[in-house]
Amino acid sequence: MNIKVFLLALAFMYLGVPLLLGDNNYLIGMIASALIVAGIAVAWALLGNLGGMVSFGHAAFFGVGAYTSAILTMDYGVPVFVALVLGGIGASLSSIFMMPALRLRGPYFALAILAYAEIFKILATEATGLTGGGGGLLSIPSLPVFAGIDFGTKLGGYIVILNIVTLMVITYFFIRRSSYGLALKAMHDSELATRIVGVPATYLKIVMLVVSAFMTGAVGAFNAHYINFLEPDYAFSGTWTVFPIVAAIFGGYRTLSGPVIGALFIYLIDQLVFKNLLPQGHQLILGVMLTGMIVLSPSGLLPIITNLFTRTRGKQHA
Amino acid sequence: MKFLNLSGFIGCALGVALGVGFSGTAHSANFIIGEHTPLSGKLARVGTGSHRGIVTGIKVLNDMYKGKHTFELKTIDDESSPAKAVSAVEKLASEHVVAFSGGYASGVIGPASEAANKAHIPYITFGGVATALSQRGHEGFFRINSAAGYGKAVIGLVEEMGVKSISVVYSNKEATLKMAKYVEKKLTEDGLKISMHEYDSHVQDYKSIVNKIKLRDRPEAIVMIGYESEYVGILRAAKLLKPNVKAMIGVWSLATGKMAKEFPDLMENVYGTAMLPFPVTFTSPKQKLFYDAFKSNFEGEPSYLEQFGYVQTRLLGEAIVRANDKGQLNLKGISDELRKTDEETISGRVRFDEHGDNPEFVQRVGQHQKGKIPLVWPASAKTGEKVFPGTPWN
Repeated sequence: MNIKVFLLALAFMYLGVPLLLGDNNYLIGMIASALIVAGIAVAWALLGNLGGMVSFGHAAFFGVGAYTSAILTMDYGVPVFVALVLGGIGASLSSIFMMPALRLRGPYFALAILAYAEIFKILATEATGLTGGGGGLLSIPSLPVFAGIDFGTKLGGYIVILNIVTLMVITYFFIRRSSYGLALKAMHDSELATRIVGVPATYLKIVMLVVSAFMTGAVGAFNAHYINFLEPDYAFSGTWTVFPIVAAIFGGYRTLSGPVIGALFIYLIDQLVFKNLLPQGHQLILGVMLTGMIVLSPSGLLPIITNLFTRTRGKQHA
Repeated sequence: MKFLNLSGFIGCALGVALGVGFSGTAHSANFIIGEHTPLSGKLARVGTGSHRGIVTGIKVLNDMYKGKHTFELKTIDDESSPAKAVSAVEKLASEHVVAFSGGYASGVIGPASEAANKAHIPYITFGGVATALSQRGHEGFFRINSAAGYGKAVIGLVEEMGVKSISVVYSNKEATLKMAKYVEKKLTEDGLKISMHEYDSHVQDYKSIVNKIKLRDRPEAIVMIGYESEYVGILRAAKLLKPNVKAMIGVWSLATGKMAKEFPDLMENVYGTAMLPFPVTFTSPKQKLFYDAFKSNFEGEPSYLEQFGYVQTRLLGEAIVRANDKGQLNLKGISDELRKTDEETISGRVRFDEHGDNPEFVQRVGQHQKGKIPLVWPASAKTGEKVFPGTPWN
């Protein structure tokens, strides 16, 4: 996606969506929920695309970020926006425990990370004094009023998550463009070859894991203050791993904006269209669509859209 | 120009039609009640039961106020997910529902009722008994049951049985955990020997827990505090390992016709809380009103889920009409009217305290007996004698 299209899409998200749908809490809420998935999808794709690590455990970072932020605001009176950042830092710190798994590759790494997610869920369940145990935490503070704007409303929440996701995409863009990004891309193709030419592969993988965990944790923290509720089953639910992976692959996980487009597309089409067509069992249609997509375009939705644009332009030039 | 003429004509015609419409039904109103409930996902079974009760409540309200007011129900499946329940509440709020009736499980009701509170819409439920739900200071939060009512029933039954030792197997969810602690405290005060076994709601195999109870605790009875699929898992493990106990006692979601029909081999002699026996014999006019309305829409026999769904919806509907008559069809108006409720319903007496809880709520206990569920506790509500000692395996 070139910079003009990206800026146009961004302008639409910042201006068009609030102007067109600002009064409709339901639709704004839906788009915000889709952006939550998009945020995790970007973080997951960053780790997978640049770090070459397929993670099945991003729910762990999401949950740790959510609990860190919720506990800091409820028990220690930390301002919510500060807590969002600290939620990301908490998730980054939790990723330190996962670093031994970096010795593993492919499916072994994926399964090890999945196990970590389960461990964190059990810890959250058992640490009753801190997390409220299985019962969870109710009435988590909403996003606050800041500079005269009430971010606790649906529209306010939408703007906050849009900012978070935009910052994540920009960070991803700069990492990819940097010399580290080049080394990481080379590692993705052949780790051995890059090690031979002196690339500190393990160090770069650690950095990518920490960055990806921070991003996911910040999104988890946002979600806690957006929905005002947490329990271990919900915070560490496999949905926070599976759905973003599906979204990233659907949109095109090797592209910058593919995970965001994928998340927006599959979440909104499932909840707004398929659920109306088939109130119970709408996931079936989504499953069929995803299968079809992967068979027809393994690289995702974004290459199809790009091809369509290119063809249209080609015809116009002809 | 032609277009302008045509649009002007249509505008006038619509204006006249609307004017006639309003003047003809000056005092009538159509009240839309919103419902989010789990019709799919892990809570689908209980959500469906609750939904059928709410539909029955809407039917009875429409019959009651025929020619004056109408009630409409808008339902969204929350897929047993807190986030989707919040979305459902927001969507229904944007469609101008006047109140919510529904929800199941405290973890879903919590955020959903929070969203309803933000939208200034009252919310009534029976699906979550977590204490924290009613302690948030929400003006419009009401529930017709309470954890204490279930706890009193279990304790009453155990005391009547005269057993000296109990093992409590419970899920680590807030409602079940608190109920387990309540039962532990009360029965310890009674001098019983109690052993506690907490499990994660994702546990699929309960054999290790049951084996520990069988070999180490050796209690006279087992109390299960969880949800449907968990009861089935515990009972399946117990039937296999056959601990030497005199009774298997559960709490909610167990003494239902569906469980009796779908798991007859596991349910025999098992106790669970229930408001009415199964199959139910409705004798009073209030009970007959509910039963006839239920049967006009649905097959099968109603369980306590349908009864609670019906009761909360009917009480809500009556409060809405009273608030409307006073020109106060808003959060405060409806909440004030609900707080004035004090009625003997088919689920017992209902009145609401300052937190929106029903302090009058006391459950009864039924026992699965050859496909039927007679009430066996308290003595005043008995429709049959309990089989004691009795378990599914002896």
